[in-house]
Amino acid sequence: MNLRTLIILTTLSIMIAPAGAAQSAREIVDRVDQLLRGRSSRGAFRMEIVTEHWDRTLEMRAWSLGTEYSLIRILAPNRDAGTATLKAGNDIWNYLPRVDRTIKLPPSLMGGAWMGSHFTNDDLVKESRIIDDYDIEIGFEGDRDGTEVWEFVLTPKPEAAVIWGRIVEQVRKDDLMPEWARYYDEDGELARSVTFSDFRVMGGRLVPAVMTMQPADKPEESTTIRYTDLEFDVDVDENFFSLRRLRSAQ
Amino acid sequence: MTASALAFGYFAVVVMVGLFEGMIADMINNGTGLVMGQIQVHSPDYLSDRSIYATMGEAEGDVAALISEIEEDPAIIAAAPRVFGGGLASSGTSTFPAILLGIDPEREPLVSRIANVSSGRLPRAGAYEVVAGAELMRRLNVSLGSELVLVAPAADGSLGNDLFTIVGQFNSGIPEIDGSYVLMAIDDLQVMLALAPGRIHEVVAHIDDPWDAPPTAARLEESLREVSISVSVEPWTSLRPELVDYAKLAAGSQWILIVIVFSMAVFGVANTMIMATFERRHEFALLLALGAAPSGIVRSVVAEAVSLGLVSLAGAVAVTVPTLIWLHYSPLDLTSIFGGFSMVGTFVNPVFRAEYPWGTMLGSAVALFMTALVSALYPAIRAANVSPATTLADR
Repeated sequence: MNLRTLIILTTLSIMIAPAGAAQSAREIVDRVDQLLRGRSSRGAFRMEIVTEHWDRTLEMRAWSLGTEYSLIRILAPNRDAGTATLKAGNDIWNYLPRVDRTIKLPPSLMGGAWMGSHFTNDDLVKESRIIDDYDIEIGFEGDRDGTEVWEFVLTPKPEAAVIWGRIVEQVRKDDLMPEWARYYDEDGELARSVTFSDFRVMGGRLVPAVMTMQPADKPEESTTIRYTDLEFDVDVDENFFSLRRLRSAQ
Repeated sequence: MTASALAFGYFAVVVMVGLFEGMIADMINNGTGLVMGQIQVHSPDYLSDRSIYATMGEAEGDVAALISEIEEDPAIIAAAPRVFGGGLASSGTSTFPAILLGIDPEREPLVSRIANVSSGRLPRAGAYEVVAGAELMRRLNVSLGSELVLVAPAADGSLGNDLFTIVGQFNSGIPEIDGSYVLMAIDDLQVMLALAPGRIHEVVAHIDDPWDAPPTAARLEESLREVSISVSVEPWTSLRPELVDYAKLAAGSQWILIVIVFSMAVFGVANTMIMATFERRHEFALLLALGAAPSGIVRSVVAEAVSLGLVSLAGAVAVTVPTLIWLHYSPLDLTSIFGGFSMVGTFVNPVFRAEYPWGTMLGSAVALFMTALVSALYPAIRAANVSPATTLADR
């Protein structure tokens, strides 16, 4: 999971000036969406995957540049160490250190699970702006559990090539931090939900350092991402995101 | 002429039904024999979502014991274990989804034809060798001897991946199978998927007559339960019910064919008999004038119809049976003209091999007699009712 994906998934996860009352839901989401797309980023995180059959923790390092480029490398455990995923444009490549080969993922597998987690390759590669694909409305505005929040309802535009039938997100008004997002399928059934927590300043910005993805049909399973290090606007360019870099240990 | 028309009707119906039954038998044989097998044994919760975790066996040796128990059944000719994995096959910049099938290279050819390689050989255990479908190899632009990267989610959550050498190719004619299956030794796939050697997903069993699969499966499940092996045993008829439906539909359509052909024959024979009795009306009038009973005239005409039926049947059988035998052992092979095609998910060769449709042969013989009798009744009654005075006066 790279930083840009975090951005896409959370939509709103950076401190900006509180939005004015006159702003529309679309303007709020778009403004935050744009602010989140830092020119580049670098970070480290831990992915804790809990399934019915096994639990495992992956430690990773990630880099991103705009919406087009990202690189994620697994550092631990040993069996997967060195495995890396590169996104360049619309292509996704995986490096498999065990066989010292790279494979290019076909578009048909975008919905497949990424590294056994509950995140998909599509989560990783999606690059369009939220406002391009969704109509955004405020579903609720007011006090919930003592916190002033907005509940945004994102409905896909007719021509949008997206897999969700609806996304509902709750965002705190005072610092624009997301609290949760729920993803519904085309039949209106809840498919998965993401909760955000441990809001803290990392890389000079307020972000949710922990987010947990839970599939609706397997409530006992989850994937939790914990950021341990995060930097924005770091010095990486397009050449950094190469197949050669994908294969290298650094 | 009338006898030959009846004989031809019999011949046409029996041979066509024979060819039809041959086609259905080939379709079932192809549908069950290619990958699925006639009987499958799984963990009870495997078929619902084909989970990698829904395995049979735990310790090494469990597989051999299970196979041995299955082969105890007198109807089972052979049984083979399998492990399945869903993953990716990649070479160069091409990557495609693949069904990874771990097989016992010695047993698999006894239960299915997917291991019948069209070129190369079967993989050896521990050598990281695979056999791939011709269509998948074409898409990946690889050939025998090429290396293939296989990736699949393993049972421990890791990303199983290994480098294999393609040593064989199969070409079933079904694009969905040729474009997705990769076969390897079961041990190699178990290692890649982090499954213990005793854990398998499926045992496929082969029997002689596919239609014996349902009772054999029920008997097998019961006998395995008696030795404390809790598994689900499925015959091909429940795994591919559409094949059964198609066979039933085809059997039903045979009756339509019989009715159409013999209905046409009824009118043909009736027309001939009417003409014949009309031409002989003077003869019938004379017989009646001499004191013959009308029922005697009816019996006479019907007896002629029965004789006609007997002659027709004898001639028809004399031609039909050798034709069936010939088409059974030397089927008409039109592959060079039409090529093969897939239907109901199975590959069909345009090879017209006839089965022996005993039921249809008997039914058609009865139909032939009934046709001759029914079509003779009306002319017979007309013949019995001619007016001797009017007819003999030629008025």
